[in-house]
Amino acid sequence: MQNYFIAILILLFSGFFSLLIKNQSYKLKLITLGAVVASCFSIQGALSVGFGHPNTLIINLGGIFENVRFQLDYLSAFFVIFISLMSALSIIYANGYLKPYINKGKDLSAHCVFLPLLTASMLLVVGVSNALFFLVVWELMSLSSFFLVIFEHEKKETIKAGIKYLVYMHISVVFIILLFVVLSINAQSLDFIHYKQIFVDNGNLSNIVFLLGFIGFGIKAGFVPFHNWLPDAHPAAPSHVSSMMSGVMIKTGIYGILRVLSFIGVPGVEIGYFVLIISIISGLWGVLYAICQHDLKKLLAYHSIENIGIIGIGIALGMLGLAYNNQTVAVLGFAGGLLHILNHSIFKELLFLAAGAVYSKTHTRNIELLGGLIKKMPYTSILFLIGAVAICGLPPFNGFISEFLIYFSMLKGLMIENLSMFLAMLLAICALGLIGTMAILCFTKAFGIAFLGERRCSSELALSKRAELDNEIEEVSPWFIFPMVILAFLILIIGLFPTQSFIGVLIPINTLVADFEIDNIFSILQTIATIGAILILAIVVLYMLKKSLYKKVDKAPTWGCGYNKATPRMQYSATSYASVFIKTLMPLFKRVVDVKKPKVIFQKDAHFHMHLEDVEEAYFIHPMIKSIEKFFAKFERIQNGNIQSYILYGLIFLLLSIIAVVILG
Amino acid sequence: MNILFTLLNILILLFAPFFVLGIIKKTKAFWGARKGVSIFQPLYDTVKLFKKNRVISSQTSWIFDFAPCVIFTTTLFAGLFAPILGGYSIINIECSFVVFSYILGLNKFFALISALDCASSFEGMGASREACFTTIVEPAFFMILGSAIVLSGNLSFSSILNLISQTGSFGILLVAIICVSLFIMLLIECSRVPVDDPTTHLELTMIHEVMILDNSGVDLALITWASGIKMVILMSLITNFIIPTNLSNGYIILAFFASLVILSIILATLESAIARLRMSHVFEFIFVMNSLALVVASLVAVRIYGV
Repeated sequence: MQNYFIAILILLFSGFFSLLIKNQSYKLKLITLGAVVASCFSIQGALSVGFGHPNTLIINLGGIFENVRFQLDYLSAFFVIFISLMSALSIIYANGYLKPYINKGKDLSAHCVFLPLLTASMLLVVGVSNALFFLVVWELMSLSSFFLVIFEHEKKETIKAGIKYLVYMHISVVFIILLFVVLSINAQSLDFIHYKQIFVDNGNLSNIVFLLGFIGFGIKAGFVPFHNWLPDAHPAAPSHVSSMMSGVMIKTGIYGILRVLSFIGVPGVEIGYFVLIISIISGLWGVLYAICQHDLKKLLAYHSIENIGIIGIGIALGMLGLAYNNQTVAVLGFAGGLLHILNHSIFKELLFLAAGAVYSKTHTRNIELLGGLIKKMPYTSILFLIGAVAICGLPPFNGFISEFLIYFSMLKGLMIENLSMFLAMLLAICALGLIGTMAILCFTKAFGIAFLGERRCSSELALSKRAELDNEIEEVSPWFIFPMVILAFLILIIGLFPTQSFIGVLIPINTLVADFEIDNIFSILQTIATIGAILILAIVVLYMLKKSLYKKVDKAPTWGCGYNKATPRMQYSATSYASVFIKTLMPLFKRVVDVKKPKVIFQKDAHFHMHLEDVEEAYFIHPMIKSIEKFFAKFERIQNGNIQSYILYGLIFLLLSIIAVVILG
Repeated sequence: MNILFTLLNILILLFAPFFVLGIIKKTKAFWGARKGVSIFQPLYDTVKLFKKNRVISSQTSWIFDFAPCVIFTTTLFAGLFAPILGGYSIINIECSFVVFSYILGLNKFFALISALDCASSFEGMGASREACFTTIVEPAFFMILGSAIVLSGNLSFSSILNLISQTGSFGILLVAIICVSLFIMLLIECSRVPVDDPTTHLELTMIHEVMILDNSGVDLALITWASGIKMVILMSLITNFIIPTNLSNGYIILAFFASLVILSIILATLESAIARLRMSHVFEFIFVMNSLALVVASLVAVRIYGV
């Protein structure tokens, strides 16, 4: 517990002292050092939970913050570990990523304060056990991430995305405030430990509380239909910030949901089905829209929604398991969900960092303009490939282990003799299978188009300019590579040691499921691990064998079907790769077409441009905002700039208050 | 006993593909009133490919070189989890059909990126179609196996196949529907008529063949061998739904091989009888499998819960 506070103090002080340093790059170095040291302390603090060390601390801040209690239970400790690790890696990466900005003379003072502040506030969110203080640090987290998102505030779309993010976060906070109002009125206390008792034989209350919590925290986590801020905020932010937000910060939303669940104990069946349906929709929606994105970071942002959906399926299975009193289903579901939280933060951070590396060298995020990067940036490419295979949930990497646990839980759930459970589980199995294959489609697109083949270029660029641009592309510096290598290593470790990782996530589940036993899952995971290791070995051996036996290789250009003047622009593009699939599901998108047909031969300004928009945004959010604007426009007349009418308003108000006093008085 | 079956399974996985392909070729030649090549021809072709030199496109990277190894190894490893001879799978763990599908997913991932690595418009087109079709097939496959699990009450891949003996005449109906839908899956996954024509010479209409246009020599040998193995795995899956497991060992082996031969002949006859579908109609064909999967699920629901 002590170490946890030392870590937070180090983070806050490193941010503060960075203000005193003039040199921009030293500023970054200072907060990097701070973050690394702090993460050592906080991980040590989290690991010592449960070994007899005190894990509760009460701090008296006076006023309304009297006796604020901090507590690290196993669930908090789990989140503390990966928040500190992932944030430290992101901040290390920032040293490389921000270098071009430093060279351009950008002032990083604010950025260097908010980076450690975001980390510290996330650590506080998962550690605090007091409703009011929770809201304060929650808000601190949202605000500091907002300032990090608008790093490139000269750009109009960045500000727009930032404001959108801010609005969404404040809708979320309204629900969270309501949640804590309901909880603290019922328990007559602001302390989390008193919240458990109020749900003893009070089923109705638990449904209301869970719904409030799910909406409030779900907006942060990015469940559909509250997901709209993600695909805008992540691409707008610098890469290390988007990796921190997508990899770590949205998981605090999941933490909130799990925390509320730990108050409630056994949730109702209908709530479990509700979460399951929402999660399935999120998973499918996220990956579907990811397929039609050409902005690499936007694609990854939509994948965050998909993975939040998978995590949600795991949690819903845990809840259904609890509700039907089947502990195997519950434990496997929660274990899959929790492990997927960790896994997603690892591979999503890796992918965002690799995407950032690509952006910093090519200055574009549009994969239609990329290609052939594997020859220029070999390390970044292979790291992106590892992340891509892992995020598709393919063996032998970590994503497979958590998805396997979720599948296992669903198949055990099929055995519960209940028709609605049978149908729900069958639906969920198909949905998860569909999500998996759609993710394969999406990431073969992202990797295949951006990194393989030949460099594509926009048609307007002259040939000489193209060659110049191509020469600029080179492998990124070790500041970029080092955090990515560590993340890739973690992916492999969890993939090859699933039994140990499973035991690791079983510990925090103690907070959610009372006492449980698991029978044969260990031996199954062990088999999978062995097969995974042998699979890697076999592939490598076969490759080596092939290399040594067939040394003679002739080179020739790709078969062009008899045409020998092929150019890079004739390659298959990302749009066309996805189009076969997208066309079958066209009603789910809003198609925006900008076209000018040629009237004469070789008309210069003839063009065709098409993109797909999120239907939720196009048909629900935008009309809603429009109607709100229309409603409030009616009150514009009141504020007419005429001083006489303002005096009149004052008089009317006074008169009304006098009448009110007389009548009520 | 188990060692014998393991050995036999591995031998079947490795060498049955050539004979299955040979029988298909021979049958097609028969329906075309030709003499046809020997049924050993696919084996000779592969051996020859192994002896040849490779030509690699200068546009490609190491992915192109690496992918055939991944494709071959993953297909073989998927075969370890699948029930082959007499419903016996070499690695029999609970929930193994998920591992099976996901290892095949890894296979597909590398097949797709290897196609995209060639910087060719044809190969990208093939990859795009293949990715799309697999995506639609997968949920149906999971739904069928999920329903079978509920009926058999056991999570392991081998025991969910034993449906005929467990549920009587209802089982025959169910197994018939399951086999038809798995046969459709076989046609899609192994790129046969009416989804794809393996003998076509027009790049624009190909799916699987166009993805491997630039592979040659040992790479091509590994890939065709792997797709043959995949065909044998799916055929033995269908076989295991039909053959009851309570036969004696000799009959099981006999029935298994007979069933492989019959399935190959049916496949070849179908290929000779019908033309391939227009690309836009392929989806309708695939959705037949999805609909059949829904029928299976509702039959199981009715059977167990008596709605």
